[in-house]
Amino acid sequence: MGKSWLRDYIIKRLIYAVIIAFGILTITFILLRVGPNSPADKYLANIAAHGGDPAQVQAAIEARYGLDKPIYVQYFEYMGNLFRGNLGWSFSTSMPVIELIKTHWIYSFQLILLASIFAAILGTLIGIYSAVRQYTKADYAFTFLSFMGISIPTFWLGIMLILVFSVKLGIFNVYYDTTLPLFSLENLKALVLPVITLGTGMLAGYVRYTRSNMLDNLKKAFVTTARAKGLPERTVIGKHVFRNALLPLVTIVMFDLGSIVFGGAYLTEYVFGIPGLGQISFNAVFANDYPVVVAVTLISTFVVLLVNLATDVSYTYLDPRIRYG
Amino acid sequence: MAEKSLKTVSESGSSSGRGTGLVNYYWQRIRRNKLAVAGLAFIVFLVALAIIGPLFTSDPTAANFDEKDIPPIGFTYLQSAYNIQTDQITTKEIHGTPKHILGTDSKGTDMLAMLISGARISLLVGLIATGIAIILGTIIGVLSAYLGGWADNILMRFTDIMMTFPFFLLLVLIVFVFGPSLAIIVLVIGLTGWTGTARMIRSEALSLRTREFVVASKALGARDSRVVFRHLIPNVISLITIMATLAIPGVILAEAGLSFIGLGDPNRASWGIILQSGWRTMRTLWWVAVEPGIMLFLTVLAFNFLGDGLRDAFDPKSNV
Amino acid sequence: MLISVKDLKTYFFTHRGTVKAVNGVDFELRQGECLCLVGESGCGKTVTALSILRLFDSPPGKIVGGEINYNDLDLAKCSSKQLRQIRGKDIAIVFQEAQSALNPVLTIGDQITEQIKVHMPLDRNQIRDRAVSLLTDMGIPSAETVMSYYPHQLSGGMKQRALIAMSLSCDPQILIADEPTTAVDVTIKAQILDIFRELKTKRRMSTIFITHDLAVVSEIGDRAVVMYGGKDVETAPVPELIVSPKHPYTVGLINCLPDMSKSGDRLTSIPGTTPNPVDLPSGCTFHPRCPRAMKICSQEEPSKTTISAGHYVSCHLYT
Repeated sequence: MGKSWLRDYIIKRLIYAVIIAFGILTITFILLRVGPNSPADKYLANIAAHGGDPAQVQAAIEARYGLDKPIYVQYFEYMGNLFRGNLGWSFSTSMPVIELIKTHWIYSFQLILLASIFAAILGTLIGIYSAVRQYTKADYAFTFLSFMGISIPTFWLGIMLILVFSVKLGIFNVYYDTTLPLFSLENLKALVLPVITLGTGMLAGYVRYTRSNMLDNLKKAFVTTARAKGLPERTVIGKHVFRNALLPLVTIVMFDLGSIVFGGAYLTEYVFGIPGLGQISFNAVFANDYPVVVAVTLISTFVVLLVNLATDVSYTYLDPRIRYG
Repeated sequence: MAEKSLKTVSESGSSSGRGTGLVNYYWQRIRRNKLAVAGLAFIVFLVALAIIGPLFTSDPTAANFDEKDIPPIGFTYLQSAYNIQTDQITTKEIHGTPKHILGTDSKGTDMLAMLISGARISLLVGLIATGIAIILGTIIGVLSAYLGGWADNILMRFTDIMMTFPFFLLLVLIVFVFGPSLAIIVLVIGLTGWTGTARMIRSEALSLRTREFVVASKALGARDSRVVFRHLIPNVISLITIMATLAIPGVILAEAGLSFIGLGDPNRASWGIILQSGWRTMRTLWWVAVEPGIMLFLTVLAFNFLGDGLRDAFDPKSNV
Repeated sequence: MLISVKDLKTYFFTHRGTVKAVNGVDFELRQGECLCLVGESGCGKTVTALSILRLFDSPPGKIVGGEINYNDLDLAKCSSKQLRQIRGKDIAIVFQEAQSALNPVLTIGDQITEQIKVHMPLDRNQIRDRAVSLLTDMGIPSAETVMSYYPHQLSGGMKQRALIAMSLSCDPQILIADEPTTAVDVTIKAQILDIFRELKTKRRMSTIFITHDLAVVSEIGDRAVVMYGGKDVETAPVPELIVSPKHPYTVGLINCLPDMSKSGDRLTSIPGTTPNPVDLPSGCTFHPRCPRAMKICSQEEPSKTTISAGHYVSCHLYT
C-alpha cells in the first residue's frame, strides 16, 4: 500500500512548523524587549555602591550587546542570526549559547526519557488490567490511586520524596550529583526519585486514559466476533482490543513527551538540583539573559512540533483508515 | 446524539420552569457520584474558610519571632541554636500548642492563617484566571467556527502558536518581565490558557451546525439566532462547565509553581510561597513544607473529582 | 436433532433492574434445516443466539435456567474451555453489521487465518491457501489481494461475504446468522440470501437465521420460531406459518406486510409498543396488545399446545 501522499504531507507540515516557530520567536522577542529590565541590571546596584555611574555602565553594556540599536534592526539581526544557526552569546554564563545547551540538555533528556518510559509501560499495563477487571476491588483501588496521582503537585511530591527517602531514611542523596558518569548504576540510583516524581502524574494519566479507551473498545462488536471465533481470551484482549486502544494512547504519550518537557520537567529539575535545560532557562530569565531564553524557546518549540509530526505520521501506520491531505 | 436536545423535559417530571427540570435532572445524576459530591463539599468548605477564616485568625504576613518554629499540635520540635559567645549548641523542646494549631514558621507567623490566606489566593486565581481563559477561548472558538474561511484559518494558526509555546516558560518570562504581582499572574495565566477551550468550542460549534436537530430546527423555519440560543448554547454550556472545573486545578498549580520558584506575589502568603520557605527549612521545620502541599493536593483532588463527576453526569451515554 | 434448547432463561442484572431478555424459550434445530427466529427488536432473539455460545457480557448477563443440549453437552453449563473449542469450529456465528463486526486495524487475511490456526492443525501455507479459497468460494474476486486489505477498503457486500467466509472457515456444523440482511441495502440483501440458499443446498448447512423480516423467512426458512417478550409464542414449518398462523401476534406480523394486490390507504400495524423487559406484563406478555385478549390472558401464562405435527402455539385461545 503506497503512501505517496505522506511525503507531501510531511513537507507541508515542516513548512507549517517553520511558520509557527517564526511566530513564537517573534512573540518572544517582543516580550523580552518590551520589559523594563536589562541585562545590565545585576551589575547596576553593585556599580552604584562603588560610586560608579549606573547609567553610563548600562549604556556601555547595552552598546556592547547591540541593544542600543533601533528595535527593528535588532529584530532583523536576531532573526537573521537564528536562521544562520547562530544562537548567540550568553551574558550570564559567558559562553556561546550553543555550548551552554550542549552541556545541559542531556540531563533533561535522560530524566524525561526515563520518566516517560516508566509512566507509559506501567500506566498501560495497569490501565489494561483495570479495564479487563472492571468493577472489582482492584479496579476501584487503581482508579482512586490514579486520581490521586494526577492531583498531586509535582514539585511537592518531589519535596516529600526527598524528605522521606533522603533526609529521614537516607537512602538517596538530597541533591543530584553531577559528577556521576551518565551510564552508571549510581546515576540510575540518583535518578530514581526524580523519575518517580516526574513520572507519577504521567503514569496516573495513562492509567485513566488506557482504562477508558480499553473499556470503550471492549464494548465493540468485533470483540464479540473474536470471541465467537473461539480465540482464547488473552488473544482477544491483547491482540484485538489493545491494538485499537493503542492508537490514541500513542498520541497521548508522544504529546506528553513534547509538552511536559518544558513544564513539569523544569520544576522537577529545580527541586532535585538537576542542571538541565529547565534550570538554565530559569536562571537566564532571572538574569535577563535573552539569547539563552530565546534558544531554549526555540528548541522546545521544535521538539514539540517535530514530536507532533512524528505522532501524526506514526498514526498512519497504526490505523490503516487514516489518510491525510 | 439527538438525545441531548430532547432533554427539555426531565425524568423527574418537573413542569415548573423551562430550565429547572433540566438542572434537577443533572443534579440527580451528579449526586450519585460520591467522590464528586465529596469534592464539591470540600470546595464549599474551602470557600467558606477563605471568606470567613481571616476574621478568626491572625495576620498572615506578620512576623512574630517570639513564637517561631512551633510545630503543629501534638508534635514536638527539637530546636537547636548555636550560641557564638559560649560556643555551645543549646537545644530546646518546643511543643505544639492550641494557640497555633498547625504551628508557625521560622518567622513566627501562624500556619493556619497563612494557609487560609493561601486558600483565598488559590481560589481567586483559579476562578478569575480560568474565567478569563474560558471567556477568551469561547469567544475565539465561536468566532472561528462562525466566521470560517481565512479568519478561521488565522485564528487557528494563532491558537497553534500559543499552544506550542512552552507554557511554563512563558509564564516565567512574562511574570518576570512585568513584575510578580497577583494581578499580573492572574492575567498572564488567563491570557495563555485559553487555547484548549478555543479548540474544543470551535469543534463543538462546527459539529453542532450539521447535527440533525439543528438541521431539523431550521427545516421548521427557525431563525439563526433562535437556533443558536435554544440549541447551540445549552449544549456548549455543559462542555464549558466541565472544562472550567478541570482547568482550575491546572491554574492553581501554575500559580503555586510560579510562587515556588520565587515569582509569586511577595506581599501575600500563597501556598506556593509557603512551600518555598518550607523547602528551605525542610529538614527541621518539616510541617511548613508538608501543610501547604497537602492543601494544594486536596484542592486539586476535589476539583478533579467534581470535574470527572460532571463529565459523567452530562454524558447521555454513561449510565449513572 | 442437532441442538435442543429447553426453557432457556437469560437475565441481565443491572442496577436499573433485572432485564429478562430471554424468559423461557424452547426450540430444536434439525440437521440440514434453516430455522428462523422471528420477532420485533427487543424480543430476545439475538440474546437467544448469543446464549447458545455464551457470548453476552457476563456481568451483567447470566443464564439462569434451562438447557442447551448439543452433542451430549449442556452449553448452558459447560466449562469455558469446552465452549471455546466449540466456538468457531462446531458452531459459528455471523453478526449483523459487517463493518463493526470486523476489527478495523487488522487485515482480512489476519482475521481469517487466526481462527483457522486455533482450530485446525495445518501449517502456515495450508492455512493461507485455505483462507484464499474460502474467500473465492464466497464470490470475492482477487482473493489473494483481498487478504492484505483492511475492512474499510471493501464494499459493504464484500465485507459481509468476508465475514461469512470467516464463519465457515473451520467447517462448522451449525451456522447462526444474526440479522445478516438487516443493515444492508436491497441488492446486497438479495446476494446474501443467495449465499444462504447455496449453503443449504450445496453444503447441507444447518442454520439458525435470526430476522424480523417475515419476507426473508418465507424465502429461505424451513421452520420458524416466532418470539415475543423473551418467549417463543409459535413454532411451525414456514409454509404452514404463513398460510395459517395461529397466535394473534403472528397474525398481526403477517398483516403488517403490505399486500401489493390491494390498494388501500393505511398500513396495518400492531398497536402498542414492545414490552419493557424489566417490567413485563403479567400472564401472557402479549395481552396488552392482543385484539383477542380474554380475561385469563392477564392472569395466567398460556402453556404450549400442539396444533398439528411440528406446529406449536402458546396462547389461551387454543388451550
